[in-house]
Amino acid sequence: MIGHPQGARSSLKKGFGIALRSRLILAVVLLPVLSLAMASAQESQEAAKGLLGDESDGSRAHPTHLIPLFAEDEDGDKGAQVTPDADPLLPFSTKYTCGECHSYDVIRRGWHFNAMDETVPPGRPGEPWIYVDPKLGIQVPLSYRSWAGTIQPREFGLSEFAFTRLFGRHMPGGGPGEVKATDDADVGRQYISGKLEINCLACHNGHYGQDMGGVSGWAVQIAVRQNNRWAAAASCEFASVKGSAADMGVAYDPFMPEGGDKEPRVEYRDGAFDSDHQVLFDIVREVPNARCYYCHSDVYFSGTDEKTEKWSSEEDVHLKAGLTCVDCHRNDIHHEIIRGYPGEEEISDSRLAATTTCQGCHLPAGPNVPDAGRLGAPVPQHVGLPPVHFERLSCTACHSGPWPGEQAVFTKTSRAHRLGTPNVNKSEEMVPHILSPVFAHDGDKISPHKVIWPAYWGTRADDKVTPIALDVVERAIKAQFDKLEIPSSGTWPGISTEQIAAALKSLSQAADANAVYVAGGALYSLNEAGEVEEEADHPVAKPYMWPLAHTVRPAAQSLGIRYCTDCHATDSPFFFGKVAVDSPIASDVPATRQMVGFQDISPFYAWAFSASFVFRPWFKVIALGASAVLGIVLLLYGLKALGAVARVLAEDE
Amino acid sequence: MFQTISIFIVLATFIGVVIHWFAFPAGPECRGGSGFVRGLVHAFSLLLIEQRNSLLGALKKLCYLLAVVCFLVLAFTGFWPLLVRGDEHISGYLMMVHATFAPIFAFCLAVLAITWASRYRFVVGDCPCVQRLLRRVTRLHVPAPEEACRCASTAQKAAFWAIVVLALPLILSIVLSMFPLFGTYYQELALAIHRWTSIAFFVAVIVHTYLAVRVRFAQ
Repeated sequence: MIGHPQGARSSLKKGFGIALRSRLILAVVLLPVLSLAMASAQESQEAAKGLLGDESDGSRAHPTHLIPLFAEDEDGDKGAQVTPDADPLLPFSTKYTCGECHSYDVIRRGWHFNAMDETVPPGRPGEPWIYVDPKLGIQVPLSYRSWAGTIQPREFGLSEFAFTRLFGRHMPGGGPGEVKATDDADVGRQYISGKLEINCLACHNGHYGQDMGGVSGWAVQIAVRQNNRWAAAASCEFASVKGSAADMGVAYDPFMPEGGDKEPRVEYRDGAFDSDHQVLFDIVREVPNARCYYCHSDVYFSGTDEKTEKWSSEEDVHLKAGLTCVDCHRNDIHHEIIRGYPGEEEISDSRLAATTTCQGCHLPAGPNVPDAGRLGAPVPQHVGLPPVHFERLSCTACHSGPWPGEQAVFTKTSRAHRLGTPNVNKSEEMVPHILSPVFAHDGDKISPHKVIWPAYWGTRADDKVTPIALDVVERAIKAQFDKLEIPSSGTWPGISTEQIAAALKSLSQAADANAVYVAGGALYSLNEAGEVEEEADHPVAKPYMWPLAHTVRPAAQSLGIRYCTDCHATDSPFFFGKVAVDSPIASDVPATRQMVGFQDISPFYAWAFSASFVFRPWFKVIALGASAVLGIVLLLYGLKALGAVARVLAEDE
Repeated sequence: MFQTISIFIVLATFIGVVIHWFAFPAGPECRGGSGFVRGLVHAFSLLLIEQRNSLLGALKKLCYLLAVVCFLVLAFTGFWPLLVRGDEHISGYLMMVHATFAPIFAFCLAVLAITWASRYRFVVGDCPCVQRLLRRVTRLHVPAPEEACRCASTAQKAAFWAIVVLALPLILSIVLSMFPLFGTYYQELALAIHRWTSIAFFVAVIVHTYLAVRVRFAQ
């Protein structure tokens, strides 16, 4: 028998034991790591694959949305399914209801929700959120996007929670509405109000009962009642919300209601749930125009016309041709809505960004496939229009917005004037004062713009002007301005120079800095004698402008359709139309500027060039006459030459 | 491309003229540097109104003077931004000046065409060598006098008719584009025709002027 010696056997046993132990330890350590890795890989695979509703299978039919509702729990996570007999009965959460099949985290990075994401390029300047307080002489364009000329809400002293309360009425939720409050004053309120989730129904609800601006709809729930958590449910057709989070004390817990009348609560209509506790939504992929219009309506006042009335205003030619907003402003699950301006493709990930512009549909392009005429777009002829116009002007310059008059007109927008919500002042002079169309050079071409002259209180240090936080301004000067009476039209009450001087003194003390007032294109400050000094045309006071693209007018109503003098005349609105320099400061003579001042063109040159069109018909007559004479001379001597040749040929016979 | 080709053509024209002046002097007094200066003086003298001129002759000369001024202005305002600055279009004040002088130039050109057409018509004795060649090749009774060729005079005539022929597309391409006739494609085509014709026209005018100086020397 061959065997191991006892010592060797013992050491072998010991070694085997150590190896086994090491393997066991290794297994214990590796198992969770491997499981985690596998789970993570599975998750990333799923994430890459997306959820059920992230990608269409190609069917053009509307998918039926008979689905269960889910609420958010007190930790902000997915709560229990909402059933009619649940206690407490919570509002459904779009994040967890729609998010069952559509990747909410992908959608929230879309254009309507990503303003706070610093990694998203701001793109062409767009409409800002405008905070306005006529008594304090404030009219300030705010934006989380870094559009030059706008002010960051935080810089203006508005927390995300406060911003949402002010402007959530015309936001589709998400963005600042979902930011966790950090300010002491906001933390408790946000727990009661809830976050303002993306309201998918704001756009995708095809039901006529979707209530965005009604007396108990989306806007009121946010702006008045602070019912952020309930707002989406309040807006839909099968639920109604009573009570107000704004009326609740800081100790109130919405997840443990006490049954008071003022408590925010949701009621689902009878029959909303089926026997499986599912609810039928009327969800549409193609967002109806009216949904867009809630936030994107414009009203142009041109004097005496009743332009607020729909029957007296014109409609965009594309809509009249049968298109919808989303035929051009498209998106996929990423919700990176195509804004539709030239150059967007440089910053957009949307593969259709380059072709979903005016040129994309109306002009021939593409080396392989003819793009022109998509969606029935007529290919423009632009007969008689020198091509240089296409280099200097955007398509919208001639085709968009109201026909320009002697002066840029007051313009109201949904978001600036909270159109479509209860108790809107319908006066055309209601602040904020937006003026349009202003034909301005945007760095590339001349386009029609909407313009707002900023007015706000700030501090100056080293020529840098910083806005003073709103609450500081209110504390410092509200009492001084309380006596001002706001006219029924809602326009500026007219601040006097003395009031500005007093306010600047108060603000300098409150902010412990050199206070200034920005208004009407100028910067006002106190000199050493304590008098108000005006610095006209100050860079920080220049107007914020953003291009307007709608309402698109047809070719027959485009600028230049009658003659070149639609623009090239010494009194044409395009160059010489007036733009009011809007200011809260009382003035006997309203200041104006000419459009040409916004176009990087010398006013004299514009005038001289326009004046030359007076003589242009004569130039044409002379040139055509000269051509005729030259032609006749050529013909005459050509015939003579032909005669000579003929003679030579005849002689040969 | 237009910029490169045009610069080449303009330079080639001027260099060609200078080389031709020295390689084939118009007369013994034209040789050397002093001859070149004399040539420039002659070119300048083309602009002067001679005392022997009749009223009509003086008017023609004035018309010619005006045409020369307009030509210089048009050439500068037209070519400077495109060839020197590399702009895509002429614009601004240069454009306005260009558009102002253009109809005056067209008018002068029409007057000169009427008044000079007869003088510049081709006649039997213009180029006997070509006529002899024609007669030999075609065996037709082409009149061919046994004289020496007056090439400068003949080329000057050809340059004149080239100017008249080129003036038509040059003027019409831009004037017709001001009427609501052409769409964008044809507008761009008209502009291209105007540009390329203007280069050819420029060369024709330079050659015509140069040959006028040579012919004057020969006389």
